[in-house]
Amino acid sequence: MQSESNLQATRKELDDLKAALDEHAIVAITDPQGRISFVNDKFCAISQYSRAELLGQDHRIINSAHHPKEFFRDLWMTIGHGRVWHGEIKNRAKDGTFYWVDTTIVPFLDATGKPHQYIAIRADITTRKAAEETIQRLNADLEQRVKDRTMQLEAANRELEAFSYSVSHDLRAPLRAADGFSQALLEDYGAVLPEEGRRYLRTIRASAQHMGALIDDLLAFSRLSRLPLSRQPVDTLRLVREAWEELRALRADRQIEIRTGELPVCQGDPVLLKQVWLNLVSNALKYTGKRPAAVVEIGCLAASGPPVFFIRDNGTGFDMRHAGKLFGVFQRLHRAEDYEGTGVGLAIVQRIIQRHGGRVWAEATPDRGATFYFTLEGTKP
Amino acid sequence: MNESNVLEILLVEDNPQDLELALRALKKANVSNAITVARDGAEALDYVFCEGPHSNRRIEHAPRVILLDLKLPKIDGLEVLRRIKGDPRTKSIPIVVLTSSKEQNDVVESYRLGVNSYIVKPVNFESFAQAVRDIGFYWLLLNHHPNLTR
Repeated sequence: MQSESNLQATRKELDDLKAALDEHAIVAITDPQGRISFVNDKFCAISQYSRAELLGQDHRIINSAHHPKEFFRDLWMTIGHGRVWHGEIKNRAKDGTFYWVDTTIVPFLDATGKPHQYIAIRADITTRKAAEETIQRLNADLEQRVKDRTMQLEAANRELEAFSYSVSHDLRAPLRAADGFSQALLEDYGAVLPEEGRRYLRTIRASAQHMGALIDDLLAFSRLSRLPLSRQPVDTLRLVREAWEELRALRADRQIEIRTGELPVCQGDPVLLKQVWLNLVSNALKYTGKRPAAVVEIGCLAASGPPVFFIRDNGTGFDMRHAGKLFGVFQRLHRAEDYEGTGVGLAIVQRIIQRHGGRVWAEATPDRGATFYFTLEGTKP
Repeated sequence: MNESNVLEILLVEDNPQDLELALRALKKANVSNAITVARDGAEALDYVFCEGPHSNRRIEHAPRVILLDLKLPKIDGLEVLRRIKGDPRTKSIPIVVLTSSKEQNDVVESYRLGVNSYIVKPVNFESFAQAVRDIGFYWLLLNHHPNLTR
């Protein structure tokens, strides 16, 4: 009686498990040849065949012809050897529509160790597969668009390169002629010219040379956007020292005090950042030109977050009302006769800083000096 | 008369103003008593290889230095450089590229082809004249050249 009630209990457990399984999964049982011997309601629902249409049928009734022959050969090899098979299968319903199922097929072995039936448990993943296919298609689209856009950009860059080359070569030649022949005129016939005439010639020469400088700076500026930016740890102190060294000529015979504070290592392109420091320091030197004792201070603000570098001078400063024009190309806030320049230096600085994802700004008071600040990150990735 | 005593410069320049200014600078520097001018790449090659209008020249009487602009009509400067440096009979002739172009490609390619020196023509005439003078002085007087006459 004990074993009878144990058997009942076990039976009940099995029935409960089966009922629970039927709530969730699509279940089918086939014989070793693949003929269907049992299907649950969910199987009928998804395949759209009635139980009567399925029982005794070969499993191939739901074949979608999507998978290659090797796929099923491999499946049968696996389960034929008594091993569990797991995979995703695309099947065909009665009305010809397709569905995907995540499938586990478990072989059950008889006393001789050969499979006597296969139980297949499936879950409907049609929606997921559709989503996957959409993603793949979108990715392929995106890849193609990126490829096309890159080709366009490369073509545009090549055009710009050719344009720059032309500019670099062809615009300088006539300037050389203007400068050279003015000089020849001065040398050969200067004696018969009044001083005013000689001054006109010197003005022509100065203009030609200035235009040469403008061309050079404009080319450098345009090239900046096209250069690849390499990000590495940069020894800021060393860059500043090198820039200071290279600007030796601007410092000759001058009284200049330079103070450098703590300058942390930063992440950026060393060549481009050197240019930034060269331009900022040369500005500081230039605009303190009229001070008997120039003071230039370079440091880093103590703050949390990315380092904010600064360079402060006690030079002529500028009016903050015009600060918006500071970084414009060819924009100047001072008279050409007071301070020479092409007005591209700060535009170059800003372009480089922006390419690093940073920000540059300035504060100044007329006749009391100016401070330029910049960060290399923190604005946008 | 020993023709190798003639300190010869071949100046290859198509721009008439640059040509006039270069000749002026060379004359003032007084480094050469024989300057030959070629107005394009084809003329330059005819001269060096003694062909066409210059077939009465001898190839061993090579110029002591060639001042070569890059942007030339007919055959451009880099091609002239390639041919002269590529021929065993002429490859030891010193060639100084004197050009408006600062482009890195041009510099790299010129050196790859074996140029001896690459000078960018400055806009400022004094600097230009100084450069021409220095080049002339260096290659004709200071630098030792192999005696190519047989």
